[in-house]
Amino acid sequence: MVTFSSNPFSWLGFVGLAAGAPLLTGIVNKLKARLSGRLGASVLQPYFDLVRLARKETIYSRSSGFITRLAPVIVWNTTAFAVLLLPVGLFPGPISFDGDIILLAYLLGLGRFLQILAALDVASSFEGMGASREARFAVFAEPIFFFTIGSLALVTGRFSLESIVAGIMWDKPLFPIFIIVSSISIFFLMITECSRMPVDDPNTHLELTMIHEVMILDASGFDLMLYQHAASLKLLLYSLLVTSLLNPFGWLNPAAGVALVVVVLAVLAACLAAIETLMARFRLVLVPQFLLYATVIGVLNILIFTFSH
Amino acid sequence: MIGFFILGLILHLAAMAIPAVVHDDRLLNRAVNLLNAFALACSLVFSLNSLLAYQPWEMRLALPMVGIIPLACDGITLFFLFTFQLLSLAGSVYAIGYLEQYIERGIRIRWHLVSFTLLILSMQLVVVVQHALAFLVAWELMAVSAYFCIVLEKQRPEVRRGGFWYFVATHASALFLYVFFILLHEKSGSWEFADYARQTGWDAGTLALLLVTGFVGFAIKAGFMPFHAWLPNAHPAAPAHVSGLLSAINIKAGIYGIVRMFMFFPIDRQAFGWALLAVALVSAIGGVWYALAQHEMKRLLAYHSVENIGIIGLGLAVAWLGRCISSPSLVALGLAGALLHTLNHAVFKALLFFGAGNVYLYAHTSEIEKLGGLAKVLPVTGAAFLIGAVSICGLPPLNGFISEFLIYKSFFQGGSLMGGHAPLALLVSAVSLAFVGGLAVACFTKLYGVVFLGENRSKTPPHGHEANSSIPVLVGLATLCGWIGFAPGAALRLVAPAVSEMSGLPAIRLGRELIAPMDELTPVFALLLVMTLLTLVVKIWAQKKAGVRLRETWGCGYQNVTARMQYSASSFAEELVKLGQPLLGLKLHWKPITHVLPEPRTFSSHGFDQVEQGLWIRLDRAIGRALRMLRWIQSGNIRHYVVYIFAALIIYLIIAFAFVW
Repeated sequence: MVTFSSNPFSWLGFVGLAAGAPLLTGIVNKLKARLSGRLGASVLQPYFDLVRLARKETIYSRSSGFITRLAPVIVWNTTAFAVLLLPVGLFPGPISFDGDIILLAYLLGLGRFLQILAALDVASSFEGMGASREARFAVFAEPIFFFTIGSLALVTGRFSLESIVAGIMWDKPLFPIFIIVSSISIFFLMITECSRMPVDDPNTHLELTMIHEVMILDASGFDLMLYQHAASLKLLLYSLLVTSLLNPFGWLNPAAGVALVVVVLAVLAACLAAIETLMARFRLVLVPQFLLYATVIGVLNILIFTFSH
Repeated sequence: MIGFFILGLILHLAAMAIPAVVHDDRLLNRAVNLLNAFALACSLVFSLNSLLAYQPWEMRLALPMVGIIPLACDGITLFFLFTFQLLSLAGSVYAIGYLEQYIERGIRIRWHLVSFTLLILSMQLVVVVQHALAFLVAWELMAVSAYFCIVLEKQRPEVRRGGFWYFVATHASALFLYVFFILLHEKSGSWEFADYARQTGWDAGTLALLLVTGFVGFAIKAGFMPFHAWLPNAHPAAPAHVSGLLSAINIKAGIYGIVRMFMFFPIDRQAFGWALLAVALVSAIGGVWYALAQHEMKRLLAYHSVENIGIIGLGLAVAWLGRCISSPSLVALGLAGALLHTLNHAVFKALLFFGAGNVYLYAHTSEIEKLGGLAKVLPVTGAAFLIGAVSICGLPPLNGFISEFLIYKSFFQGGSLMGGHAPLALLVSAVSLAFVGGLAVACFTKLYGVVFLGENRSKTPPHGHEANSSIPVLVGLATLCGWIGFAPGAALRLVAPAVSEMSGLPAIRLGRELIAPMDELTPVFALLLVMTLLTLVVKIWAQKKAGVRLRETWGCGYQNVTARMQYSASSFAEELVKLGQPLLGLKLHWKPITHVLPEPRTFSSHGFDQVEQGLWIRLDRAIGRALRMLRWIQSGNIRHYVVYIFAALIIYLIIAFAFVW
């Protein structure tokens, strides 16, 4: 059953998430700057950037065609729509149905498809290189998602994100292990999918070493704004996924639950910032290994489940 | 309503007679294909109407000297009949424009048109006859007519080679099916399909033999790994309208056979289900990985057919397992996924092959590395191919997503219904399907990005055109991809009769449990579409205000960038192909640069199929060697042959007398 939430607050919540997403990016950047001894830009800097980009003139490559013009819109919408499927704390997402986990993964896949094509559309070998890397790492990233969320679906016997989250209870035997294991593998996935260190360096200035940034090298103006906002939304999406899995909300009242979500988000941001400060980017050939570790962690869940029965 | 179908069949016969009276090739091409298209439109009225109203139809045809041949259209037959007719219609219309180039080059298409019509006709007969011998006759007709369709350009050696691959594979398939049906006849004493299902009390050995021969026979046709080697060889050899139909419907005859087999053996052996699951997984992963390494459009698409047959097999396997644990709803989910994917794959694969045909017409090559920027010169093909590419990757909101969604759902439901290690196995299958999806995205971004985007890589930009008749076909197929995606309920109503027959679920429960939840995806996708359109409007408005300029691509500080410096398809896929080394053979030909002032160097790489080279070619050589040892029998001396005949006669007489007395 597809349920469109009739509660206006859950739709307002979506607007709130969309509006708040750049703040999370800003906080991570600020924390990172402070940890490495810099003062850093204001946490609101991503907002200023978005506004500036939205007002700027767009420059298109002469080689580009309709894909370049269409891709930013699709990338933003698929990411935003994936956020619509996401529960926050005890509040279900505005849209929820059996199998929404599959739609969520495949929506992000559609966004990625168009993003890669847009990179190939401008006839630049640098962007082609980024596109190739994105396609390669995605091949390993998707199984992680399905191993983790899929095993939770089997463990709880439910197939919608909201009911999986509601079905995870800390007080059942073994469940704490499932939850911790899943959170770690989704966190690894977040690092990959959101192009953070040590998989990708969002701040590098050498095109040859980048993945996500090099793919949007030729985007500008409103298009670049859409890409940047979609990137912040994606970071928020994965953080919320981890937060929902680390879910002790069954015991709390909703308001306290939301407060806790905020706290967990802040901890996650701090983790990201710490990792980015302490680690260097992997050599690209090591990334598949990193993803393999994450997959193995995801497999643990289902092994525990199978052999404990 | 059956009158429409009979009319359609008669019109096909008439179309085969046209070449006897019309002598101008151009006129002949139009007349035969349009008549076929009209005939198919008539037959579609019958199959669509019977499917939606669910009116099964039966008839016992008494033929002189042959006996009684039962013909029947149950839900399964009707569904496959509908798929075959729909795609044959698309193929016939597309053929009109595509065959023009052969006429221009002076290649006679008279016999090609006859065999093309015979192919369309025999495909429909294969699913309608319910009698083992008649089925084998129709199967042979289909196999042989398809062979003649493939070898249209028989003067080219690679075409003859591809055709030969097909010919050998299809007869290997027929050989297994002869054994299968003769065994069935031995055990049940009947040639009629309806009698097989009633047969109970199979002994384990016979059953295993039956399942293996039947499955291998149909799997060779369908292109399951490791029986897939004929697909990537035959598809590039055939003209585009034939390769489209080969992938869209010809290999689906194998799927039809496997589904029929399910009906023959209402048994609960889980082992067959798990074996099918394993074969399907190998096909899905292997197919897409091989596809990544290909440099030729049609060869790449042929490997993707192997992948998609694997995905269909996954659904069939779950359906079989569902029957073993007596869960009709699991049977329904798996089978609905498999059958819908059969239809979906037929639609988008035909679309992609026809698109590849248009690329060939324009550029006179289908080597991916020599193409580029075609979306600008072939706008309809470019847009339609994109729709096909998104669909085949199983991405929402297009049709591929719907069938893969059902198959995922069946994995999760199966996992929660079955005990033991089944959840683990099914989860691994679900993850593998996600992995296949990721590889398919890599493969189709490579194909689309290199062929249709960027700049043209060849030194002399080509100047061909899209075949005129292809435009309505491509637009129609692309619309169908979108429509099945947005309104999955409508397409599921087409598979519902077949699913209901196999699972035993009444139509009402099927509507409630299977179709209704999928129907509810429509508003979800509608919301996505509305959001996208709104964003597009806002973007256009904002860009109008801020201004848009055209400039060169940012070259990262490098000057004089040329089209040949673009990222190539091989580079795009290289790292992933390398990871598949155990499965894929990759040959690199190059010399490293050693001196300060180097001589010109070339680099080339090509992937080869370990199964094809390592298994089938080797097997072929081994058979050749073994037979060479018997060569002395063929002495060429006529007196020896007379002795052979005499010896044979004596042996027959001895056998005859031994049995009489």
